[in-house]
Amino acid sequence: MWRTIASEFARSKSAVAGLALIVVIFAVSAFAVFSLPGSTASQWANPGTWTSYPKAAPPTWVNALGVDAPQTVGLTLNNWTSSSFDAPKTYVYAASTTLDWGHTVTPSGFLFIPQFVGSAYEVSLTWTKPDGQEVQMVVASPTSGTNYDLTSLQIKQYILQFVQSQTGSFLSSVTPQQELSGLFRTDGSQILASPVLKGSYKLDVQVTSSAPLTPSPRATLTLVGDSYGTMGTDNFGRPIELGMLAGLPSALELGMLTSVVSVVVGVLFGGFSGFLGGRKDAVMQWLFLVVLAVPALPFLIALSYSVPLNLLTEATFIAALSWPFYAIIARSASLSIRSQAYVEADLAMGVSSLRTFSSHFIPRLTPFAVAYTALGVPGGIILGQILSFLGVQPPNIITWGQLLNDASTYQAELYGWWWWVLFPGVMIVVASIPFVLVGFSIDRIVSPKVSAK
Amino acid sequence: MRPDLVWAQMGYARFVAAKSVSYFLALLATVSILYVGTYPSIQKIIQASATSAAGEFERQLISSHRGLDAAQITAAVDAFKLSYLSSFGFDQPLPIKFVLQMYNLFQFHLGTAFFIQAPNGSKQVLDLIAAALPNTILLFTTATLLIIFSGVVLGLLAARRVGGKLDRLIPSIAIVHASLPTFWVGFILIAYFAYTLNVLPTGGITSVPPPTGLLPRFTDLLAHLALPLLSILIVSIGGFAYVIRSLVVSTMGEDFVLTAKARGIPERRILFRHVLRTVSPSIVTQSILLVTGSIGGGLTTEVVFRWPGLGLLTAGAIGENDLPVIIGSTFVLTLVLFLGLYLGELAYGFLDPRVRTGSD
Repeated sequence: MWRTIASEFARSKSAVAGLALIVVIFAVSAFAVFSLPGSTASQWANPGTWTSYPKAAPPTWVNALGVDAPQTVGLTLNNWTSSSFDAPKTYVYAASTTLDWGHTVTPSGFLFIPQFVGSAYEVSLTWTKPDGQEVQMVVASPTSGTNYDLTSLQIKQYILQFVQSQTGSFLSSVTPQQELSGLFRTDGSQILASPVLKGSYKLDVQVTSSAPLTPSPRATLTLVGDSYGTMGTDNFGRPIELGMLAGLPSALELGMLTSVVSVVVGVLFGGFSGFLGGRKDAVMQWLFLVVLAVPALPFLIALSYSVPLNLLTEATFIAALSWPFYAIIARSASLSIRSQAYVEADLAMGVSSLRTFSSHFIPRLTPFAVAYTALGVPGGIILGQILSFLGVQPPNIITWGQLLNDASTYQAELYGWWWWVLFPGVMIVVASIPFVLVGFSIDRIVSPKVSAK
Repeated sequence: MRPDLVWAQMGYARFVAAKSVSYFLALLATVSILYVGTYPSIQKIIQASATSAAGEFERQLISSHRGLDAAQITAAVDAFKLSYLSSFGFDQPLPIKFVLQMYNLFQFHLGTAFFIQAPNGSKQVLDLIAAALPNTILLFTTATLLIIFSGVVLGLLAARRVGGKLDRLIPSIAIVHASLPTFWVGFILIAYFAYTLNVLPTGGITSVPPPTGLLPRFTDLLAHLALPLLSILIVSIGGFAYVIRSLVVSTMGEDFVLTAKARGIPERRILFRHVLRTVSPSIVTQSILLVTGSIGGGLTTEVVFRWPGLGLLTAGAIGENDLPVIIGSTFVLTLVLFLGLYLGELAYGFLDPRVRTGSD
């Protein structure tokens, strides 16, 4: 029987495709488990990790669709020269870097990080625009390793002065967007709305100190772009692609565990119920009803307040509520097996019922169980993601449902941040479809064989 | 009346009586499962409700009996709280406590919400649920009826031409549908129909402010119902049609269908009268599985569309850790589900001639 099932399975295109896809998603999942550090989930939850990432940025490939969405540019200043002056004794370290900007939009952020050992008086930055205009910024008593960005008061006040000198009117404050206009747009009174200057920008950095700095200082400038990776970022700057990858192992684990446990329990109970028949069957069916009538979703939510959730308890709870579905199906299959002559012969000869069940029923129910295990995985995955979407999930894991919850909270669909909504849902479908394909195929092969006279 | 018809009715009456007893016992068992699973939460809720009821009592005492001193008020309030707790069996051994608390649950003493308020300002969980439940039933029942109707029609049409276009299409639709999360489909529909095309509302159950007049109100409700309904339908129709198609195909091979064909009865008539009548009890069973299986998806759809039903209420309660609301809506939802299953079972018995005639 298994051999014929296997050969029919191999002839079904959708079954083979499904199996191949399962192999692929398991490989990707294994890659995620081994390549992502254990701290990924806690980093994910900490917004500080993502300061140098563009916020709510589309994938980079939108550039191919005619959208001008620059990528993040990271520049390292490494051509340091040193000089020293007397009275008072000062040491000056200088470096510069250039950047070619060909976009019609400004970057979405400007992030400068100096690094040095010891203490420095100041770091002075000179930003030279392609038209020769210079913006001077001086950070007094800088701290090594600090992010100086457009919200840092020291940077902000100099850009404010520059913008005022260009527009010729008083500004009480500037937004980061206006600061970027000051740094990148064509100079003149319309600097806040004029076109972005294309060409070569230059940043000169001078670190001044009272003592020699060894090793010589280092610095990086990050011009945060407006697109990121293959799947974009959410509005904390977290890469969606990282969330998709990190969510895969837990989704698969939950789906598989749930499905295997509930199918094994359900098929054994249901199969046995149909085999026994009569009054015992009625009692067991009553039991299916009792569990079937528990509304799974709200009950799991209520349960999460009594029992701390981890993947194992979550899977156990879901399985404990979903086995009656399989029991009902297995029972009807079992009823049709029971009506066959060889079973009646066994019973008439007085073969023990346990032996009859294991010799005639188990082998015929097993292909069913395999089909429904595959078909049950998506159900487990989706219910898990629904719970995450509602905010009920084990701590310290990243889930697609959680990403969708965030997307809903920050109204991604209103702002048109489609990548934030699209990819998590697509991942749920991608992780589910292979199992459905395989399960459907096995079911189509097996069903006629069991119910055939 | 003919004797065989009397027997037939006796058979159905007996069936209904037996099922009523069995469903009532099952209800007790199911609610016991809920109770055991949420025991710590239930104790917490009762204590919090006792405290809030005692606070209410204290305010009444102070305003209506100005002569009492502080010690007397405290004593009265303590006594009140104690009697409140003892009505829930707090001073009793576990079995009696269980019976008392179950009794209170079935009396709909669901306690007071921690934070959430009903539109009329009440914080009683029962009032909150009473405001939300009709909306859930409206959405979910409409969706279920539409799925059953269109699923049966599609399944029959597909089974009529096995291997035909529709027959090959339905399994692929079912495969895609089995892997779609309802709430995500809702998101996509909102993004497209509400924000991009601007033709349907983004969520809620009425416009703000609601239109005046009966007909505008009705069309307004329909407009708000359209997208949540569509997202439930998209996810469930394919799978249901596929199941019906399989049922019908397996019945088409039965002897009585072959006989009917041989007698020259038109195919349409065989399909819609003989076959449909035969598979209708199984359709009821499948519908029951459909309802219990899709209720979770239906509840999350409410969240995405801000549809003010039990799902949205529960989601809000999760955000605020409002336990009484979560447990109360779980309980009420169980009751509603039971009612649905019970009605389904009665329909099954009515449609199944073996049950109706009392033969087994």
